[in-house]
Amino acid sequence: MDAMVHVEGVGKRFGQVQAVRDLSFSVRRGEVVGFIGPNGAGKTTTIRLISAVLRPDAGSIKVNGFDVRTDGDQVRASIGVLTEGAGLYPNLSGLDNLRFFAELYGVDDPRRPEALLGAMGLAAHAHRRAGTYSTGMKKRLGLARALIHRPPVLLLDESTAGLDPEGITMVLKEVRRLSREEGVTVVLCSHILHQLEMVCDTYVIVDAGRSLAQGTLAELVRDYVRQRVVELETDLSLERAHEIAARFHARLVAPSGASRSKLSFTVDRPDDVPEIIAAASSAGRVYSAVRVGEDLQSVYFRVMEARASEA
Amino acid sequence: MRRKGIDRRAVAAIARKDIRAITSNVQVWLPMAIVPTIFCLVLPVILGIAIRTGGIDDGSDIGPMLALIERMPHSSLKQALDSLEDLNQRMVYLMFNHLFAPLFLIVPIMAASTVATDSFVGEKERGTFESLLLAPIDLMSMFMGKVMAAFIPAVTLSLASFVVYGIAANIAGWSVIGRPFFPHVNWLPLMALVMPAVALLAVAITVLISARTSSFQAAYQMSALLVIPLVMLMIGQVTGVMLLDTASFTLIGIIIAIVDWILIRLIVSRLDRSRMFESQVK
Repeated sequence: MDAMVHVEGVGKRFGQVQAVRDLSFSVRRGEVVGFIGPNGAGKTTTIRLISAVLRPDAGSIKVNGFDVRTDGDQVRASIGVLTEGAGLYPNLSGLDNLRFFAELYGVDDPRRPEALLGAMGLAAHAHRRAGTYSTGMKKRLGLARALIHRPPVLLLDESTAGLDPEGITMVLKEVRRLSREEGVTVVLCSHILHQLEMVCDTYVIVDAGRSLAQGTLAELVRDYVRQRVVELETDLSLERAHEIAARFHARLVAPSGASRSKLSFTVDRPDDVPEIIAAASSAGRVYSAVRVGEDLQSVYFRVMEARASEA
Repeated sequence: MRRKGIDRRAVAAIARKDIRAITSNVQVWLPMAIVPTIFCLVLPVILGIAIRTGGIDDGSDIGPMLALIERMPHSSLKQALDSLEDLNQRMVYLMFNHLFAPLFLIVPIMAASTVATDSFVGEKERGTFESLLLAPIDLMSMFMGKVMAAFIPAVTLSLASFVVYGIAANIAGWSVIGRPFFPHVNWLPLMALVMPAVALLAVAITVLISARTSSFQAAYQMSALLVIPLVMLMIGQVTGVMLLDTASFTLIGIIIAIVDWILIRLIVSRLDRSRMFESQVK
């Protein structure tokens, strides 16, 4: 198995609080995984357990083939972590921060800190104190710090929090590039679900320290979205729209009186969606077709609703 | 892959980084600079002025000092004092060479505890401790780096202060003794053994205090309690209750070094990344 991160039956308790319970998931080499859940779900604790800075009470975690209990230094050498706080020394310059961490991580290439600063667009600010950087610059410097030793695994915990749209795009592009070009395995925690959708291959949804659902977005949609909704922008008459709805046993929601309007078809069978689009196209003009409720945010809430109804 | 055992590169990197943090932070280096300046420069200058104006000629003020010299056992200091011509010379020699010796140890204590407090509690306050614990270096190397970061500046500052104090003392007492008279041989074990041992003790105690406090101010205030034994030693010296000669200083140095060794062994045996992370990182 080509798992770079393998979490099996892991539990972690802090006093009376069971932060993580019986958590299992695997991340393949080069995969980008969105690790999502509400506040207090155990995401940060899991990141710290994978990073071998917290010891699990139960279960096992392997990173790059190393066990967090017995090979902590090898695990940490295999991982780059960027947390919400970025963990930088404010009195040191951006360059000196990277030089310091290069020493800690045993990086022998003396040009690596400068090269990373350049790649992150911080070359012009290399000699400024990190404490004077903007939030976006700190995050970029934090990402450079996390990458200083070319780790095969990158853990990003709320790493886009506080960033402007340009900063978010930059971080997500870099994540995508690292995964695609360098085969870096990435675990990404964020509450901004549409951002995750831009870069993640698979998702692990957790709550109360437990895994609720795992898989690709298509798999999650298959498992958790019962009815499919397609919204068409079209010049179809209402009469023709009702005919199509009846043919596919679809529920039709349509505004009255407009010549070019948005029609919403709800069906039980996923395979009916392309058929409805085809039927509408042959009967009139279809300007756009959008599947509704199949984005990550909608699926996330479906998973949470399913958990609430089970409870 | 990183090597086993002490990671010298990491030790040096942590020590260098912390020492740079001291020099760039006025809140850290100012308290460190004030104490040696007062002790090594201001005090000798005041005494020098007092000597020039004849302030210590008044027999009524020096009764306890005279008694101290009388009670002094046979030693190199006693010999040195006996070789001096008059009471004034003896007083100057005694003050600069003997009475201020314990007080001088405030310099390494203040320096070591100030830097160690910033080094350990500062990491927590700045939120950088997590980054440090996430690095693939063993805790022993991390601890050594932190100890070096406090120990090296404390010892360097103490040695520099010693030189400045020596020059200031010789200049201040020149008008009375007429030749260089500082340092007495007692300062050899004091500077070579007691001072480094005391600096290391201050670091070790500060580490223990830092592990139980969350703010820089709390840790710094508690570390300040370290000077109390010195004040008691000073009182002992002045009153003659405890007269320290070369052998006494050597013995004290050895005892403190043993205490250092025990404390550091205790701290090292308790180093646990997971426990540290749980208690120190929010």
